[in-house]
Amino acid sequence: MRAARWLLPLGTLVVLLFVAMACGEDEEGTPTATGTAKPGASPTAAAQAPAAQQQIIVQSGQPEFFDPHRSNFEQDIAISRMLWRGLYQLEATAEGGVQAVPAMAAGEPTVNGAVYTVKLKPGLKWSDGVALTAKDFVYGVQRGCDPDTASPYQYVLGASILGIVGCDEFFGIKGTTDAPKTPTAAEIQAARDAVGIKAKDDTTLEVTLLAPKPTFTTVMSLWAAFPARQDVIEKHGDKWTDPGNIVTNGPFILTGLTAGAGGQVVLEPNPNWALEPKPALRKLTIKFIDDTEAAFRAFQTGELDITVIPAVEIPTVDADAALKSQFLLVGSARIWSVEMQMKNAVLSGTEIGSKGYNVRLALSRAIDRETLNKVVYNGAFLPATYWLVQGLPGFQGNAAFEDQIGYDPAAAKKALSDAGYPNGQGFPTLKLTVLDRPDRKAEGEFLQKNWKDILGIDVTIEAVDAKTRSSTFNSRNFELFMGGWQNDYPDPENSLIGLFDTDGGNNKYDCSDPEIDAKLKAASTEADNATRIKDLQEAETLIVTKLCGAAPVWQGAQPYLVDSKMGGIKPNGQIDAAMPGNWCAECWFVKAQ
Amino acid sequence: MTAYAIRRVLWLIPVLWAVATITFFLMHAVPGGPFTQDRALPESVITALNRRYHLDQPLWRQYLTYLWDLLHGDLGLSFRGDRDVSQLIRDGFFVTAQLGILAFLVASFFGLTLGVLSALNQNGPLDYLGVFVATIGAALPNFILATFLIVIFAINLGWFQILGWGGPEHVADLLNPSAWDVKKMVLPVVSLSFLPMAYIARVTRASMLEVLRQDYIRTAHAKGLAQQVVIIRHAIKNAMIPVLTLMGPIAAVLVTGSFIVENIYSIPGVGRQFVEAVIRRDYAMIMGTTLFYAAVVAVANLVVDLLYAVVDPRVRYG
Repeated sequence: MRAARWLLPLGTLVVLLFVAMACGEDEEGTPTATGTAKPGASPTAAAQAPAAQQQIIVQSGQPEFFDPHRSNFEQDIAISRMLWRGLYQLEATAEGGVQAVPAMAAGEPTVNGAVYTVKLKPGLKWSDGVALTAKDFVYGVQRGCDPDTASPYQYVLGASILGIVGCDEFFGIKGTTDAPKTPTAAEIQAARDAVGIKAKDDTTLEVTLLAPKPTFTTVMSLWAAFPARQDVIEKHGDKWTDPGNIVTNGPFILTGLTAGAGGQVVLEPNPNWALEPKPALRKLTIKFIDDTEAAFRAFQTGELDITVIPAVEIPTVDADAALKSQFLLVGSARIWSVEMQMKNAVLSGTEIGSKGYNVRLALSRAIDRETLNKVVYNGAFLPATYWLVQGLPGFQGNAAFEDQIGYDPAAAKKALSDAGYPNGQGFPTLKLTVLDRPDRKAEGEFLQKNWKDILGIDVTIEAVDAKTRSSTFNSRNFELFMGGWQNDYPDPENSLIGLFDTDGGNNKYDCSDPEIDAKLKAASTEADNATRIKDLQEAETLIVTKLCGAAPVWQGAQPYLVDSKMGGIKPNGQIDAAMPGNWCAECWFVKAQ
Repeated sequence: MTAYAIRRVLWLIPVLWAVATITFFLMHAVPGGPFTQDRALPESVITALNRRYHLDQPLWRQYLTYLWDLLHGDLGLSFRGDRDVSQLIRDGFFVTAQLGILAFLVASFFGLTLGVLSALNQNGPLDYLGVFVATIGAALPNFILATFLIVIFAINLGWFQILGWGGPEHVADLLNPSAWDVKKMVLPVVSLSFLPMAYIARVTRASMLEVLRQDYIRTAHAKGLAQQVVIIRHAIKNAMIPVLTLMGPIAAVLVTGSFIVENIYSIPGVGRQFVEAVIRRDYAMIMGTTLFYAAVVAVANLVVDLLYAVVDPRVRYG
């Protein structure tokens, strides 16, 4: 009877709740798409809606840090670019390339050997109104080199890339796990002071490199070199990026945060942003939605204005005129490949004509890249036999390599026969490691069938979760591996150096070839930009034609839906792909309906 | 019964310790760590990160440090954003609990009603309808159901929203009607409650049918008691015992969150935190959410055991 007593009121409550739910009002009143102008229209191409309507909601993967010196993933970096700005910023060129243009800097640096002097624009301020000075950039770089910050992108400032004097020494002052050191406070301070960046006065910055660097302005545009406020960080400690504490110098400020999966950040214009354009958006909400299928559906209900969508939904978009008019496919600097462990007995040998080379050639020439792209990715990507992606200086494209490593079943069979395995006879079973995700498994099965049908060889597929996959790769414990590279910055050195030199940190396929090493070494020390690009092109030619550790398969692209009410989406170039046009989020606006 | 309850609560300590120990060593044994990524970080960066998070210490010392911190109520920091694990779980649980409690109420009300009505109308149209709904509910995975609901009611009809949770973010807002956005709550609650509703309906129906055939029910009828009184006072109460057994774990599962439902509706709940922590090898978060789950399940089971004594006078705990 007791049960019956509580069941009745409970049931009434639930029924009432359901009635109330069905009668609920749309409090957000998210407008639906009615405009017809294409994304990317310039601010002058369409009138802007009133300020009260300048509110949008954007999808993003879940970020980890809003601290630029700790940012590691593209979704972190995308938001960092909205909150912060460096001496320079990246901008897409009309030719489809990318260039670094002055942001906080007044102009190009003055170069004297390996010493770069940069003048700041006058009158710059932080979001709280405090003057932004050269000291803030000094502190930002010192922080990036500080072992206690543990910046994932410290190596960008160190000798691996930019080569700021003293950065690696400061970063390594506490030794390694096996040989730890306990420096005194004075020694740490001395190492910090020895980092090659100095404020000559409030608006003059001097950066000393190990050697002249043609990519100086590009690297100084990256998040690792953003300025930071010492007083704010020291006051709030690890909480300094929380709303209410954080002080930024970019076009937006952070006013709201719900951390974790399903959370969001809310950005509003920085009242002290001195550069043009000033943000038109009054409120930019970025929702953390890792499941792009969920985001796709939320776009359809009008709850999102910009989102990435999965490639598998492209046919759905194509079949719907309203969605199709809001579709935007943006190229990215990601090259994807079959990576091949060069120390494996069957795959080893960089000499053209060697047994291992012929096996790798057979594998590459048996891949029908065009059909793979259509079948698995609905044609979203670019079939590729090149490594330096479209949009980078020095891009050579398929024309340079298709005839040598591209799809050709007859040539593939001949190469395998030349390797001593006619029709695949006697060829051992190889293992292909892929990410345990439907599209990646489908890709693996497509390759498996290509190789079986054309070469008559067996390849097994090992599908594993992301961390296991990365661990397998980094421990070199693989035979064939689906992986690739996404550029951090728009320069071909970032695609090659460290990836294909014998002792490169990311050379997990163990490519080791004296000719490639010599070309990459020459490029890394070359001060003349044209010669440097030529060296890198020649290195790419050697890497691709020798199939030294990787057979390229496709260049990535990111499919987006952008509400037709949106204007000012300026292309990023082909580098990062978290959101379309996020390099200039201050350019975004809502058009008058 | 109080002594029994206290003993059971004290038993939680060794249970949680065992869960913590097994989880700690298992998570360190699986391939990959929190800083493992395709683009391998330089050794110097890995060293600095390991030092920052004390992963450079021997495993046994990390384990003892963790236990020591745990005893002081410190669950550590998530590697994702250095956020306090206790706070993340608190925030996530506040959302998940709202969703879970609503789903539990809906599942219980409709499940019990459907089960009782089916039993009372055995082999009648109402019974067939009830069995049909219960079978569909049990057979349809909630991601399929959620997708159908979204396409029909959110995308095509535009009645509901699907992005995020409509409940309040702070405890202080629980009684503030404007903090509740019901348009965002309906579909997640229905998606989450359908399966447990089906189970409750099936078990209730079976249990009711069994009770209705008991001698004492026939006796009650023979004594001239009204049908309503026999059903409510004698049949339902006794039929509740197996249902209660089922409802304990259902309550625990619902209030600890569903990765699938939270993911589909982009709800910032604790169910997603747990799964994502494992995927990302976020050690402190794995430990925190696992211990939290263990505690919730243990408490839910305890509550059910105590409720047995309330429902069935023959059950006594000493």
